[in-house]
Amino acid sequence: MALTQKSSRRIVHVVGGIVLFVLMVWTIAPLYWMVATSLKSNTEIFGPSATLWPTAPTLENYVTLFQKTNFQLYFRNSTIVALATVVLSLVISSLAAYALTRLRFRGRRVLAQGLVYTYLMPSSLLFIPLLIIIRNVGLQNTMEGLVLSYLGFTVPFCTWLLMGYFVSIPIELEESAMVDGCSRFGVLWRIVLPLTLPALAIVAFFSFTLSWNEFIYASVLVTDATVRTIPTGIPDFVVADTFFWGPMMASTLISTLPPLIVYFVFQRFLISGLTLGAVKG
Amino acid sequence: MSDLAQPIPRTQRSPGLWDRIANDARILAWIFLLPAIVVLIAVVIYPFAYAVVLSFQDKSPGIPGRFVGLNNYATLLSDTGFLETAVNTVWYTVIAVAIKFVIGIVSAVVLNQERRFNNVYRTILFIPWAVPTVVGALIWEWMYNEFNGLLNILLINLGLIETGIAWLAEPKLAMWAVIAVVVWTGTPFYTMHFLAGLQAIPKDLYEAAEIDGAGVIAQFWNVTIPSMMPVFTITVMLSTVFTATGITVVNILTNGAPAGMTQILPNESFNLTSAGQMGLGSAVNMVMFPFLVLFVVALTRRLLKDGNN
Repeated sequence: MALTQKSSRRIVHVVGGIVLFVLMVWTIAPLYWMVATSLKSNTEIFGPSATLWPTAPTLENYVTLFQKTNFQLYFRNSTIVALATVVLSLVISSLAAYALTRLRFRGRRVLAQGLVYTYLMPSSLLFIPLLIIIRNVGLQNTMEGLVLSYLGFTVPFCTWLLMGYFVSIPIELEESAMVDGCSRFGVLWRIVLPLTLPALAIVAFFSFTLSWNEFIYASVLVTDATVRTIPTGIPDFVVADTFFWGPMMASTLISTLPPLIVYFVFQRFLISGLTLGAVKG
Repeated sequence: MSDLAQPIPRTQRSPGLWDRIANDARILAWIFLLPAIVVLIAVVIYPFAYAVVLSFQDKSPGIPGRFVGLNNYATLLSDTGFLETAVNTVWYTVIAVAIKFVIGIVSAVVLNQERRFNNVYRTILFIPWAVPTVVGALIWEWMYNEFNGLLNILLINLGLIETGIAWLAEPKLAMWAVIAVVVWTGTPFYTMHFLAGLQAIPKDLYEAAEIDGAGVIAQFWNVTIPSMMPVFTITVMLSTVFTATGITVVNILTNGAPAGMTQILPNESFNLTSAGQMGLGSAVNMVMFPFLVLFVVALTRRLLKDGNN
């Protein structure tokens, strides 16, 4: 080897820096373009005088978005659907994960494996029958219908994730509580859940982003504009008006904020407690 | 009021039904699992069975399905457009997964190097993952805009092109433009898992390799790559399923245009369903499903083998 280990290490470090720079540009450029466009007036966005950055920043796109579109309604609907999905996923998954990790019964192994496979069941395969089923039970064009459908992918995933954490709690803690007269449900509520708060936070975070982002079920199960959520509501802005890129970028920016804020708050947990299969991508 | 309720003597209650339920692990387990099982049967398992049945039916919204045997499958397999879409789907999935994989491992390795402000870089590279896919697709649609998109403005300013390119309408470019967006939104998934995998490799493996005289590159091939195999397998497995079946980016950017060049099977199924052909739409998915299952089973086996070694 002509190069010493020290100098080759130095080269790798420099090359790494250059690669990192390229990756940052690739990641940030579209986001920059979104923010810049949302702050420009139409003359700066369109036509020959299109600028690379807003020379006269304005909030007029945001005003248009809130005054002339259904965006507020979509935002409200998305919030309700996402929060309801989070709460139900937490309750259902905690109970299921506890049963699958701590209670001995026949069929436990099969159920735990089945759970993984239901998570891998793609929504593009299920949306057609689901549309018929949801329509037959009268839940088409309702947020309840959306929440119920979303539980189909949040519950398997959250249960799977929580199982990993529940196993790590020393069983002696639970046993001693039960000797002291605590019921199984009491053990789950007073000992297991408080000890797995970071895991619950991650589970809540994923349920929130998954339902906040969901597109395919929302497209087929909801046709009524008043029940639409952000992912199916905002793409329609393009069709409605060709000169709509300003307010559109304002709407994408605002729609990104809730998951982004939650991501910044939780990123410590996300990276330290990362489990595979955490996100769909 | 009191005569409505059956008076239960206290002595019978203490070893009674409630305590038995609360202490019998089997009964309690099923009670705890009941909500999850009900939900999964209602929105995953029953719909899946129904999807299989639908693929043998002629079904329009509001009209009861009529069994037509293998007609839907025959229609699809004799349609050259369908076969092209199937080829597109494979091509799109393989290329997108491959690029995400390469950028993901490169990002993870670079983020794993010691550098100042590493937290900042990591946070930024993960941002596209927090951006809703629909939002990512819309931003890129605007980036690609023929007249006022950033991409064309930059290329014109740099003197590389004379007039703007319609990235999403050019037959030769459209699929690549779609894949670029899928890569942009999907790479953090890989970076995250690969970074976690890299950090889990014991340091002494590298030290041992160094004592044996292995350079940085030799260490990467002989230590990093073999240690990462299980992480690679599971990440690729999950991502392939989600990439192949994800319609959001294609649906928003092109919906299959130009001339079906960017069409993929799940979006074809979506379009057929929107047009009222639910049976045919289900058959499209059912053609795809066995391949996904084979892929998942093959990789799971591999993973179990790796796990045993």
